[in-house]
Amino acid sequence: MKIVVCCKAVPGVVTEVRAEADGKALQYQGQFLAMNDCDESALEEAIVLKRAHGGEVTVLTMGPVTALDTLYMALAKGADRAVRVDAQLQDPQCSSVVLSAALKKLEYDLVLTGAQSRDTLSGQVGIAVAHRLGVPFAYAVVDVQVPDSSTVRVRKELGGGRYAHVELSLPALLCVQTGIQPLTYVPPARMMRARQQPVRSFSLADLGLEAEQLVPRGYRFVDVFQPRRSSRVEFLQGAPQEIAATLLTKIKEAL
Amino acid sequence: MQRDVLVVAEQWAGEVETITYQMLAKGRELADGFGSQLLALAMGYELGRVTEILRDKGMDKILVVDDPALRQAGAELQAHVVSEIARRMESRLVLIGYNLVGMELAPAVAAKLGALAMTNCVNVELRDGALVVTRPLFDGTMHARILLEESGTAVVALQKGITPPIQASGKVAPVELFEVDLQGISFRSRLLEIIEEPATEVDITKADIIVSVGRGIGDKEKIPIIQELADALGGVMACSRPVVDVGWLPRDRQVGASGKSVAPKVYIACGISGASQHLSGMSESGRIIAINKDANAPIFQVAHYGIVADLFDIVPALTGEVRKAG
Repeated sequence: MKIVVCCKAVPGVVTEVRAEADGKALQYQGQFLAMNDCDESALEEAIVLKRAHGGEVTVLTMGPVTALDTLYMALAKGADRAVRVDAQLQDPQCSSVVLSAALKKLEYDLVLTGAQSRDTLSGQVGIAVAHRLGVPFAYAVVDVQVPDSSTVRVRKELGGGRYAHVELSLPALLCVQTGIQPLTYVPPARMMRARQQPVRSFSLADLGLEAEQLVPRGYRFVDVFQPRRSSRVEFLQGAPQEIAATLLTKIKEAL
Repeated sequence: MQRDVLVVAEQWAGEVETITYQMLAKGRELADGFGSQLLALAMGYELGRVTEILRDKGMDKILVVDDPALRQAGAELQAHVVSEIARRMESRLVLIGYNLVGMELAPAVAAKLGALAMTNCVNVELRDGALVVTRPLFDGTMHARILLEESGTAVVALQKGITPPIQASGKVAPVELFEVDLQGISFRSRLLEIIEEPATEVDITKADIIVSVGRGIGDKEKIPIIQELADALGGVMACSRPVVDVGWLPRDRQVGASGKSVAPKVYIACGISGASQHLSGMSESGRIIAINKDANAPIFQVAHYGIVADLFDIVPALTGEVRKAG
């Protein structure tokens, strides 16, 4: 089975966030880029599926050269190939245009993505990619079974302790939740070897796209701000013992 | 004539989910602002009871798609129905709940309609006639306000608990039955069954006091200090998703969108940063106490009492204090 995993490098810390003058994107300083957590879970699932059913795993990312580390990490974990699309986009629709164009250049039976990225928190890209590719999809997937070469059977979360079992014909796209597989540790030596492996690179032109097509439509950012803490929050300070005594009083009042 | 606001009602086994009433409250406010109508869409099979429950909840009309094929419908089928109705009604705005069902439905509906979708929203309001949504970014540490410029259909997925639920108005809305052709379409995903996790010995939804632990605990071996506090208080221990993902606690202890929704009298969050999926499962608790090292953690957006400190300093001290008080 040929599996493509879409992995995104997301910043661990962001500062100086503001909307650009035309409101079409955000500017910010991001530090400590790392693979988005549910994308990493999707990658681990892909590697487990490959070991069980054969085939190959390609990891695909869209991002600047600083996103290469995410691909090396994926190769070190066991991906066979890595592809980077050289573009930086925040809008989910534009991202789905680029990723689906890249996927059309690759071979796949199954596409895995994380359910949501930690930076934009929109959870739209996977499903939008599936729509553009014309393949069935399932969201919040926590288990994948492959009964035969043309089908996957998944368990997906519905919330509140409910799950659905869904059967999809291949090719298909699955948006994966964290926890589907344990995360594997990558020893530094393997990471060093992974850095020697080639990474295929696509420009937008390689995908037949132009930057002008990839402008967010239909909305603009008005402003970005730190959410107010609830006006009710009262911060307790002092030595742990004092705080504990105050907390106990507050707990008793609430019961 | 302004176009309508369409609320996609969510029901399970004949019961209407709370988020539906919250969306109807928001939808009423927006429809009044537009000078248009508030419509509710109920889809499923044998919807008599759901229709009766919903009819007097502030809408101008309830649209019902009642079809055996929708008895247990997956997202592909539901998205087909919602997009068909939104297209026929030429809705200005489609409101969907941002829970695990809506997280799949909203982008799927938007894709079918070629419409703009805004997900994970904590507010949607009218400003000078334009729709403005507020939604989190960067793990919830920032919020953005976004103005919807297009006049086409917009799909907005709203988080739970952002507005009080609508009350019965005394006015009973007319019912309009709709047929959507579900036979002529070949769906490539098939819902096989829906299963509910069996009841377990500890039911965290019934507790008056919950002591909840997050990623900040750092080590499975440290979890007993949380259990000790829960025991001392006569409460139960719960946790956020990352703790379950690494296998430190079983899934029946998980609070949040994918786990249980709880509203105890006291909720003590220890080392929980407060992803929106977690907040949606506990923000209606009576008193929320949050202990976290990061002063910017979103958990403090919902807390009543906040302690910016190491949980290993505070939790044992509190356990000692509770025991001392007997």
